[in-house]
Amino acid sequence: MFVQQLVNGVSIGGIYALMATGYALIYSLLGFSNWAHGDVAMLGAYIGFLCVAAVKMPFWLSALTALLGAGAISIMNERLAYRRIRRNNAPTMFLMIAAMGLSVTFQNMVIVFLGPKFRTYPPVIPVKSISLGSIKIGVLDMFSMIIVIIAMMLLELLITKTKFGLAIRAASSNMITASLMGINIDFYITLVFLLAGSLAGAGGVLLGLKYTVYPQMGNVSLKAFIASVFGGLGSVRGAIVGAFLIGIMEVFVSGFITSGLRDLFTFGLLIAILLIKPSGLFGIDIQDKA
Amino acid sequence: MKIKKLTGMLYLALMLLIIASSLSGCGSKQAKDDVIKIGYVGALSGDTAVWGQAGLNGMKLTAKEINEKGGILGKKVEVIGLDGRGNPVDSVNAFNKLVDEEKVIAVIGTNFSSCNIAMAPIADQKKIPLIGTACSNPKVTVDENGKLHPYSFRIGFIDPFQGKVLATFATNKLKAKTAAVITDIGSDYSTGLTEYFIKQFEENGGKVLIKVDAHSGDNDFRAQLSKIAPLNPDVVLVPWIYKDVALIANQARELGIKATLLGGDGWDSKELLTMAGPALEGCYYTSQPSFANPVTKPYAEAYKKEFGINPETEALFGHDGLYWIKDALERAGKVDPAALKDALENTKDFKGLMGSITVDPATHNPTKPCSVYQIKSSQFEYVGDFTP
Repeated sequence: MFVQQLVNGVSIGGIYALMATGYALIYSLLGFSNWAHGDVAMLGAYIGFLCVAAVKMPFWLSALTALLGAGAISIMNERLAYRRIRRNNAPTMFLMIAAMGLSVTFQNMVIVFLGPKFRTYPPVIPVKSISLGSIKIGVLDMFSMIIVIIAMMLLELLITKTKFGLAIRAASSNMITASLMGINIDFYITLVFLLAGSLAGAGGVLLGLKYTVYPQMGNVSLKAFIASVFGGLGSVRGAIVGAFLIGIMEVFVSGFITSGLRDLFTFGLLIAILLIKPSGLFGIDIQDKA
Repeated sequence: MKIKKLTGMLYLALMLLIIASSLSGCGSKQAKDDVIKIGYVGALSGDTAVWGQAGLNGMKLTAKEINEKGGILGKKVEVIGLDGRGNPVDSVNAFNKLVDEEKVIAVIGTNFSSCNIAMAPIADQKKIPLIGTACSNPKVTVDENGKLHPYSFRIGFIDPFQGKVLATFATNKLKAKTAAVITDIGSDYSTGLTEYFIKQFEENGGKVLIKVDAHSGDNDFRAQLSKIAPLNPDVVLVPWIYKDVALIANQARELGIKATLLGGDGWDSKELLTMAGPALEGCYYTSQPSFANPVTKPYAEAYKKEFGINPETEALFGHDGLYWIKDALERAGKVDPAALKDALENTKDFKGLMGSITVDPATHNPTKPCSVYQIKSSQFEYVGDFTP
């Protein structure tokens, strides 16, 4: 039972991780919580769903379209809403409010144009599980776990080993200095939004495959946000660790105590971390977090 | 000053007009002795008018049938339908109008709990029996303090009642000995069904191995289902709305739960079949009795001939409601709302097309069969009507 619940928790945590890293990337650069992030994931799930179900594309192509589509929407958000606010040197609070506005707009646009119904992906990956003794591991879970691990590894390499990563790290440390050093800030911010949006799109497609696709599904990103606060806002590695810990904790609370208390534990953890170690597990630079 | 005087005079004129019209109203609409008037309140316009229209059509067709066979106690039946628009205010207005102007002796309708909760105290006040159709909230016949609305009745069963039928169906038909339950603790519907199911299942000699809680919208139920899986129960009660049922079913199968899943009318949506895929093959759910039952065939044919469209279930409620009133009036032996109320309250085994009704005098809730459906090759298949 314990191991089974651990498996369940890891599979939930993996999806939180895909979303949480996107949060962390954008936070590390612009210093605000992108509340529209979950809705980008939702739009990604819908793009993938429409490609598979309406256009009848093969699944891998649909998933790729969803990833790129979500990335493009994410860039569009930056271009239309955030860039202008950044240029005005407005407080980061304004960015957060703009993000909330985008979130509400996206949810309602989907309700208007596609309807509020719950939809499911056609059975791309069968509902089957592999038994290891008394432990059952879903095929879909393994598939999504592989995707999550690949995405996390690529992200880690990208940030630590490439010029792109160096530029982002420099910009997140100090944007003005980085810009004086000859880094094209706008270009890199666009790339970061593309990256975060694609990760969200991947999360959205996996969520849609595992559960259902509906306009409010992006609200799950609240958990991803808690994960990234827990791990240290702005720290990609922290976000991954936080996401897995929260996924496992949620399953353990529902499995061994009662699901009524699940969210109490999650939010209790958020309060505790803010009181005891406000910078989170892997956080640095206390002054900047708000 | 001048304007004030003018408005004053207008008021006076208006008052006179109202008095005059109400006087004349009394004069012209005297209830005729040889006709029994029965009212119907339902949504006759708006987006839920399909049901309201079907209910009224069903009653009119039934009234015709009753009149052709000699009426009730030698008197002809007349059905008067007014539009309640599916909202409480309009329904109360319609009810008042039926009683005050049309002088009906009983009212059938509506299928919305919110409308009947609003009409129930007025029915008590005016002492006119009100028979709800598909409204399923317990507060339709019993107020918040648990006090009975003496003039409120209903034809359909309350939601939790399905739990009772499911329990007996599981022990008698499926020969289930053990059960597990997964409940949505945020919903009255789910907790009510759970409570009735567990009580009846244990009364029937079965054993409920475990009851786990979850919330609608959780999407991932594997933490809870993992607790059920190793116990290997014969049946698992899933009293949820279809979107959650689909998720629970798929995740349960993934974790190796092979038990037959059971549920209530929250399953009753074609969407469930596409969403759940093969995970629900062979599972059962209950619903209000409907036209799936072959005994309703002649009535459905007559309805199609008369109105040129397929009947909705609400038409059956109209049919059974009117025959129930006929049955009660004949037992009472006189045409009087108070006597009718007493007779309705003491109904035992009234046989309608939706099965036989026995009323509990303490709550006015009927004991009656539920229709059971099975999911077979991705279709809902009618199994039969079952009593608890």
